[in-house]
Amino acid sequence: MPQVRIIAKNFMDMVASLPAMKLDRLYQNAFICEAILRSLPPLAKKYVVQILFFDGPVSGKLLEQWVLADGVTKHRVAIDRLIQLRIFIEVSDKKRESSYKLNQTFQANLRKHLTNGGVLPRETMAAVVKLPNLEELDTYALEQWEVGTSSMDRDAPRLTEGGFQFLLMDTNAQLWYIIREYITNSEISGFLQLGIYSLSHIERGTDPADLISFLLELSFHVTGEAYNINTLTEIQRNTIKDLAELGLVKLQQGRKESWFIPTKLATNLSVSLTDSSSRKQGYVVVETNFRLYAYSSSKLHCEILRLFSKIEYQLPNLIVGAITKESLYTAFENGITSDQIISFLQQNAHPRVAERLPSVPENVTDQIRLWEADLNRVEITPSHFYDEFPSRDTFEAACDFAREWNGLLWEDSKKMRVVVKAEIHMNMREFLRGQK
Amino acid sequence: MTSVPSKLYSDDVSLVVVLLDTNPFFWTASSSLSFSQFLSHVLAFVNSILLLNQLNQVVVIASGYNTCDYIYDSSSDASQLGSEDGRMPSLYSNLLQKLEEFMIKDEKLGKEQSQRAIKSSLLSGALSMALCYIQRVFRSGPLHPQPRILCLQGSPDGPEQYVAVMNSIFSAQRSMVPIDSCYVGAHNSAFLQQASYITAGVYVKPQHLDGLFQYLTTVFATDLHSRSFIQLPRPAGVDFRASCFCHKTTIDMGYICSVCLSIFCNHHKKCSTCGSVFGQAQSDTSSTSDLKRKAPET
Repeated sequence: MPQVRIIAKNFMDMVASLPAMKLDRLYQNAFICEAILRSLPPLAKKYVVQILFFDGPVSGKLLEQWVLADGVTKHRVAIDRLIQLRIFIEVSDKKRESSYKLNQTFQANLRKHLTNGGVLPRETMAAVVKLPNLEELDTYALEQWEVGTSSMDRDAPRLTEGGFQFLLMDTNAQLWYIIREYITNSEISGFLQLGIYSLSHIERGTDPADLISFLLELSFHVTGEAYNINTLTEIQRNTIKDLAELGLVKLQQGRKESWFIPTKLATNLSVSLTDSSSRKQGYVVVETNFRLYAYSSSKLHCEILRLFSKIEYQLPNLIVGAITKESLYTAFENGITSDQIISFLQQNAHPRVAERLPSVPENVTDQIRLWEADLNRVEITPSHFYDEFPSRDTFEAACDFAREWNGLLWEDSKKMRVVVKAEIHMNMREFLRGQK
Repeated sequence: MTSVPSKLYSDDVSLVVVLLDTNPFFWTASSSLSFSQFLSHVLAFVNSILLLNQLNQVVVIASGYNTCDYIYDSSSDASQLGSEDGRMPSLYSNLLQKLEEFMIKDEKLGKEQSQRAIKSSLLSGALSMALCYIQRVFRSGPLHPQPRILCLQGSPDGPEQYVAVMNSIFSAQRSMVPIDSCYVGAHNSAFLQQASYITAGVYVKPQHLDGLFQYLTTVFATDLHSRSFIQLPRPAGVDFRASCFCHKTTIDMGYICSVCLSIFCNHHKKCSTCGSVFGQAQSDTSSTSDLKRKAPET
């Protein structure tokens, strides 16, 4: 039984939730073994590499001895993760101590990798035509991606909390989010409508394991090289059309053959699996006078900032705005919380201010929280108002009755007036009728 | 000294600079482990570092007995594909080819130079190259992997390199780069013990050389982030002896210039490093403290 649950909902949890048989089949692909190993927590990686050339089971006690006393939680998390992903197979011996064995296919693949070195999944095509250079490819990927994300929130009449959270994620996390949706949907409907994307090339009922393995394999290709489409299977060929729409690959067609060129988004796929690698540079500077400077030319960034601040002017590489009470109120009305805004500002802090602690001035964060608390100062409860009671006895009986039902909100015994919650109105009416 | 400051990059991405001892004098004499066996262990280790994280980077520097050179860099290797026949992975073909070229060059330089009785490899040169590489990485921008140096040494220390090695060690300490060392020779290496001790790295002298790979992955594959919660071998004892500047011999007791801290094995009239003039050595040199307290007369 796993003792510590991993709360983070990431792509690897999805892989871990695949049935055992499918998981074992996934491990037959050496690239998946590699990608999955890389996604593990550092300690788990270490365990795997350390016992890679052991044939027999290794006792859990022995593994635990490798860590210092304050690393015990890390040890448990690592072991649980390894068991979840079926990399470690639990073997209990006579003394009822748990020992672990490596998954055989996984072990064999990694051993081969260590002794033979890494290889590329498929051969690149000989230079057919002029390939786009890396910079062009990056711009292409980014454009394709931002067009999608920025229109995604436009289509929806009102941005939901989930929508804002989506915008807050970094590109890689967003990518995995979409891909996760894509894979889950492929099983059921084969059609996914996400903003302007309608990723419909995928056939209904495609095995998610196939998709996962293809995506992970894709991340081992070299950015900017051309690969022949004919080397792909039918399913993969359909998938790649969708991926081109997301900006993961660029499709090109020659006279006879067509080929795909992976962009940085695709090759970074397996990098982003690890939680620790948030390697994006921030761009926002917030000053103590509530002014906000964002060094960005991206329209998407501007739109995100507009969600909670007043954009004052836009220069070619700089967006200037201010966080005002009004702008925050609109944000709160849309279901965005102060914590989300603050964490967004902190995560995207410009490198110059990111070194400082706190990266966002304290008076600004406090004020954002206070303004939110202001909104919550008044609580509205639907209620009913009674007056003109025939006698003081009836009035008092009514008050007691309301108290019993836990519905009394306010009473004025001098003028004999009472306010009760709306949900007990019917019972109250019955009660007062009985009193007459 | 023990902790590395937190930077913007993720915490378990590492840059490992491996210093490979290729000294032919050592490897021909070594009976327990041949160079090719040693190399196969090291290559598997390099592979395992690259396997652990996509952003990990490995640089291999060969240190011969006359020269040293970069023979492999995983960051520039990525776009190159395997050798012409496409059979052998790029790591092996590139590295082995460079290594062979290096050995030939090393031998040629040895023949050109007059017969010197130097049997040690150029640890100081290799360390300096590693530190230069790391400095360049530091300056490349805020996002870079956490660097560390791994010395795989077999040949004995060269006392004549003492000053250069110590300078490299202190420079590594200043830039918080740990120097790990794995010594495969017969006796312990004082240089490497001191290097690892001062820079908070790990020094290991494997007992069973056939299991070298296991030592390498268990101890030296541990990234700097994980070192805070993993048991690693502690130094059993460090040989702090220094070499004198005049005859390059390792000494237990000697004379130190109080101006520039140069070390001498016997009394001199003038410091050969900074030129300070020493006073006459006192006749009663029985107490050890007197040996160290020679005030210069200016």
